[in-house]
Amino acid sequence: MILFNYIASFFLIVLGLYCIVVKYNLIKTVIGLSVMDYGVNLLIITIGFNPGGTAPIFTAGELTPASYFVDPIPQALTLTSIVIGACVTAMSLALVIKLEEQYGTTDTREIRRLRG
Amino acid sequence: MNMLSLQHFPIYSVMVLFLGAFLVVIFGRNKVLRHSIALLATCASMLFMMALIKPVMLDGEIIAYWMGSRVPAGGYAIGIAMEVDAMSLFFGVLISTAVFVACIYSIQYMSHDDNVPQYYTLFLMLAGGVMGMVLTGDLFNMFIMVEILTFAAVALTAFRNTVTGALEAAFKYLVVGSIGSTCILAGTIVLYAQMHTLNLAQLSALIPDHFTTATKLAFALLYIGFSTKAFLVPFHPLAADAHGAAPASISLIISGVLTKCGIYGIIRLTYFLFQSMNLGTTQFLLVFVGSVSMFVCVTMALAQHDFKRLLAFHSISQIGYVLTAVGLSTALGLSAGVYHAMNHTIFKGLLFLAAGAVLHETGTTDLGKLGGLSKKMPHTTVLFLIGAAAISGIPPFNGFASKWMIYQATYQKAVESGNIGFLLVTIVALVTSTLTLASFVKVTQSVFFGQLPKELEHVKEVPFGMRFAMGILAFLCIATGLFPEQVTRYLTEPAATAVFHVGAYINAAMGSGYAESAMLNPPLAAEPAFIESGIWSPVSWLCLLMIALLAITVVALSGKYDKVSLGDVSDTKYQLFYGGEANFASLVGSDDMFWGFKYNWRHYFSFMHELHSGVVNDYALWAVVALALAILYAFIVM
Repeated sequence: MILFNYIASFFLIVLGLYCIVVKYNLIKTVIGLSVMDYGVNLLIITIGFNPGGTAPIFTAGELTPASYFVDPIPQALTLTSIVIGACVTAMSLALVIKLEEQYGTTDTREIRRLRG
Repeated sequence: MNMLSLQHFPIYSVMVLFLGAFLVVIFGRNKVLRHSIALLATCASMLFMMALIKPVMLDGEIIAYWMGSRVPAGGYAIGIAMEVDAMSLFFGVLISTAVFVACIYSIQYMSHDDNVPQYYTLFLMLAGGVMGMVLTGDLFNMFIMVEILTFAAVALTAFRNTVTGALEAAFKYLVVGSIGSTCILAGTIVLYAQMHTLNLAQLSALIPDHFTTATKLAFALLYIGFSTKAFLVPFHPLAADAHGAAPASISLIISGVLTKCGIYGIIRLTYFLFQSMNLGTTQFLLVFVGSVSMFVCVTMALAQHDFKRLLAFHSISQIGYVLTAVGLSTALGLSAGVYHAMNHTIFKGLLFLAAGAVLHETGTTDLGKLGGLSKKMPHTTVLFLIGAAAISGIPPFNGFASKWMIYQATYQKAVESGNIGFLLVTIVALVTSTLTLASFVKVTQSVFFGQLPKELEHVKEVPFGMRFAMGILAFLCIATGLFPEQVTRYLTEPAATAVFHVGAYINAAMGSGYAESAMLNPPLAAEPAFIESGIWSPVSWLCLLMIALLAITVVALSGKYDKVSLGDVSDTKYQLFYGGEANFASLVGSDDMFWGFKYNWRHYFSFMHELHSGVVNDYALWAVVALALAILYAFIVM
């Protein structure tokens, strides 16, 4: 079953990239970035998952060599990655608002004063 | 452990910058307090780095610092490490110095802007991110620092959001930069899935023996991620946009320091993590991308009409030199590469600060609107000329010394390996250097010489603080150019040697003997030989140049030389008249000096102009194509 997770995560990453490349609306570009982030987050969580493992929360003394749990490090990484993803979204949306004010459009094909 | 022991210095030098960023938020309303916090933080960071030069560079110590003293247990790195070897320290010293100079410059440069406290917060966050990235010993930590510096750089690019294109540049940088960061994260996690560790030293020990398809994928992802940060081809349009729109002090950081982070990442990736530089295919990848970057960007620079945008393209062209030299995988090549990286930070910083000075006084960076500023801003002109001479590789400035070493390294590699391709690289490097000089003749002529437009009559010299910052960099330009032997002995050769001591790097973090026990073929600590062929004393080249200049002057003075007479020019386009004798008076704007060259190459230039369309989707597409090609390359030939 874990295979579906891998397929889904790479599907999400590719979908996000597709959205960024093909869609001309700034908001959709931002959505693409988020979708790509979610794909990577799913990939991280999947890598740390052990089927049948418990949550990696133990008090001192509870932890024995026999305890079977999911890898806690990827979960910590995902948390960080989610925070960073939220920052990307916030910052890019702030830029989109300002861009819309200045250029009067959200079409990427018209936002190209810097070129050549 | 003593609080002042050298072990703590790397973390201090990152911490003071972040601490400064938070203190500026609290006390930033007060102007004096704000400036003193920023200056103190950057200065302290620089001093902490300088203090490490003796033990790390000269005595060859490697500092491994475990956060909270969580040292490795049972052969696994469980804590987060900072690891500083000569390579990290080299970049650390370079970055902290550049940041300090940028901070001095900012004080007067940013004095007319709104929201200056926020500027310093972001500035210090950016500096902290960059320092953290080069000093850390943990791959995930590296990713976090990359994200911090990307965000701070994006926000600072858009800081003057009324400037044409600032927001646009920031948005493009954010989109493609995020794709790059996501690649780094994905690469990191793929490596974690294979090796179950994030520590750079432990990864370096494990990867070479477990080189699978998954690690190849990780290599491609990490390579693309770091090359986005170094703005290598095909990510160079972002650099041009971002450098051009950002305030000059930030352009210095983005071009002089952020690109170095990318180069540092690529060195760590190829020489340490994968230790794949002995493979011809990895060498080919780096040298090819480097050569293409240097040539494409210098030709793009020739076609520019904006001062800072032009400098930005040159910046990536010089990064191409660095990557090419690093990709040679010889001791001399590495030494030359990091030497050029250092020189690039110095002279490009100087040029950007000079461009900022022009912008500060005239309010424009359009080459067509500037001219004759040498009369109004003599000090800035002299400082700019030093920078321009250095980047063009004219002796005795630093650009000459490192470029000379790069030519030698590529030539030597061609002789050693018998591969004619490397000779071609030498030629590309030489041609690029010539085109750089041509381009800077154009800039110098159209900004500082020629006729002073009427609108610029009121222009004054910039305040002392800004000239002081430029003066430091100009001094460094000359000092590192006049004493190349000392620089190579104390700075670049230790850094290059560190790269050949991967085993020591692993053992310093993981405990001695780890590399030998964990690896099938532990890397041998080879003592690299820095052999240079040919004459390379910059002083003799300076003499040659002087004699040639003298000869030209004598010939020019003894012959019939009509002074240029300008007469009345009705069309404003020709106000910036450029040279020629009176008999041949052809009116060509000085920013169009190389019109003949451009005309002959018109198909190439129009093709490139079409390609750099400015649409963010196109740049994202380039990123995706580059990623796909990198993955294919890794799968098929590595």
